[in-house]
Amino acid sequence: MPRSEMAVHDGQHLSFVSRLMSDWQTGDRSRLARLLIVALVFIAFAMFAASIMTGAANASLGNVLQWLLGVEGAEQALSARDRIIILDIRLPRAVMGLLVGASLAVSGTIMQGLFRNPLADPALVGISSGASLGAVLTIVLGSSLFGALFAVFGFYALPVAAFLGCLLTTLLLYRIATRSGQTSVATMLLAGIALAALANAVTGVLIFIADDKQLRDLTFWGLGSLAGANWTKILSAGPIIAAALAVVPFLARGLNALTLGEATAFHMGVPVQRLKNIAIVSVAALTGASVAVSGGIGFVGIVVPHVLRLMIGPDHRYLLPASALLGGTLLIFADMIARTIVPPAELPIGIITAFVGAPFFLWILLRGRSHMGL
Amino acid sequence: MIKAKNLTVKLSGKPVLQGVDIEAPAGQLTAIVGPNGSGKTTSLKAIAGELSYGGTVSINEHDISTLKPWELALKRAVLPQSTVISFPFTVREIVRMGLSVGARGDAGETDRIAKDALDAVDLSGFAGRFYQELSGGEQQRVQLARALCQIWDPLQHGEPSFLLLDEPVSSLDIRHQLTIMRLAQDFCARGGGVIAIMHDLNLTAMFADRMVMIKAGRVAAAGHPNAVMTDEIMETVFGCPMRVNVTPTGNIPFVLPHTASG
Repeated sequence: MPRSEMAVHDGQHLSFVSRLMSDWQTGDRSRLARLLIVALVFIAFAMFAASIMTGAANASLGNVLQWLLGVEGAEQALSARDRIIILDIRLPRAVMGLLVGASLAVSGTIMQGLFRNPLADPALVGISSGASLGAVLTIVLGSSLFGALFAVFGFYALPVAAFLGCLLTTLLLYRIATRSGQTSVATMLLAGIALAALANAVTGVLIFIADDKQLRDLTFWGLGSLAGANWTKILSAGPIIAAALAVVPFLARGLNALTLGEATAFHMGVPVQRLKNIAIVSVAALTGASVAVSGGIGFVGIVVPHVLRLMIGPDHRYLLPASALLGGTLLIFADMIARTIVPPAELPIGIITAFVGAPFFLWILLRGRSHMGL
Repeated sequence: MIKAKNLTVKLSGKPVLQGVDIEAPAGQLTAIVGPNGSGKTTSLKAIAGELSYGGTVSINEHDISTLKPWELALKRAVLPQSTVISFPFTVREIVRMGLSVGARGDAGETDRIAKDALDAVDLSGFAGRFYQELSGGEQQRVQLARALCQIWDPLQHGEPSFLLLDEPVSSLDIRHQLTIMRLAQDFCARGGGVIAIMHDLNLTAMFADRMVMIKAGRVAAAGHPNAVMTDEIMETVFGCPMRVNVTPTGNIPFVLPHTASG
């Protein structure tokens, strides 16, 4: 390659890096954020594919992709057993991991924006417990007490009940922790503990009066797992999650303004009360639907937004989509570990997210305790 | 013109404002002064529309209670006393939040406004810094730049915009106090209006076109600084007898705390 061409080539290469460098100096992280979102899309796809490939039954990536895309003749390359494993077990599991991970991470991001605090997380402040209570109520007392609910919502009854339980808890928490537009972190965390304890106590009573079959359904909620994934569950929770995720981008600018305080957000033209209402309902829908199908999986909502903020900053226009992508990817990854680390048994995924998330939470707490009003 | 008529506000059952009238014409810097707890900030909050009040507030003849938040945001911007943020935003990101209110032309235009706003508050070169790492005075100036971006043109379609400033200079050094007061004066000269809560009486006398003195939830005096900064009024409002003097050149009133007796 002639020297002049090389110089041009290097110049172009440098210009992109130097553009990012000058962005950094002028405090502009939007280019970096867009770059990361594109990268996360690819990583999510790769993780999704890896998850379908991984497990006791082996199938080549090429064969599976060709089969799923309907390429002729590809079906014969896979055994009937493999096809069932992939179509009815791994695929729904990966789809659910993506949906639930995205929901939990986005819920966490919205809650942190709403409470203007990086420690808010659906599982941590008792909102997930509220959702579990809704779900458990439906399972145990379902047929007798909520016959109407089942009649109206059919197989949506469980996610809807979890959504309602979640909504109620979120509203209560917000009312308790926020006074004249200021949220106290200490009150939020403590009220969250109290609300979770209360919800868990009621859940305990319900478990006590549950019969054997109901009990088997219930143990699953305590741990949090994607093991029960199937297409029916995805059809019941998927539309709720998809609808909520479709609303979320419209909250981004408002949540940005809200980080300056409720009064300032209003000064800047944000209809604050409406923003808060929509944010709370979205969080309840996302968390409720996720808990209904996968139980309480903790810490995704706190780890994901925090890592992303370190990389691309707190601008919600980029933080929200990036959270959805990284949340989904991480949960699929955690699930892969959960089902391959002690074969043939399976570790509940909640254990893995807690092992990573709890120390992480402590780290944030110790780093930020001076300026978080604790 | 901002007109507040017969403002009454109760906070947790206690009357804070009892029939306050404030007029702030475009082209003038109106200063609100008064002792601590007299109701200055409450008046400003009522005018900004952020708390419920009795009476009426209008901007350019529009009753603000009939305006949507985003309509209001195009007519006035507000600088609060201090703003604490728990997320690591850069200065640039904060300032540009002010730009997201109205449609504001192309990317080049918004970049220019954001840069000019930072230059105006003497924070050129601070765009890449983290807000949380700045001093209180610097944070205050970032917020002012953000508010400026919101109503960058003092006159929009012939209608004046207003800046509502709650103690804009109280945490600033003397050089930046002058920078910010001149900026406010310039905003008025270009057709906008400013209402500023002030504690420094001498700065107020230097820059304000009108002073509104509030005492115990009522207006005690209002008018040109030369008219209201008198020995009697100062003693009535602040409860502190002192001598008001005027500068030899310019005839601007000033007070020295040294002259206070008791």
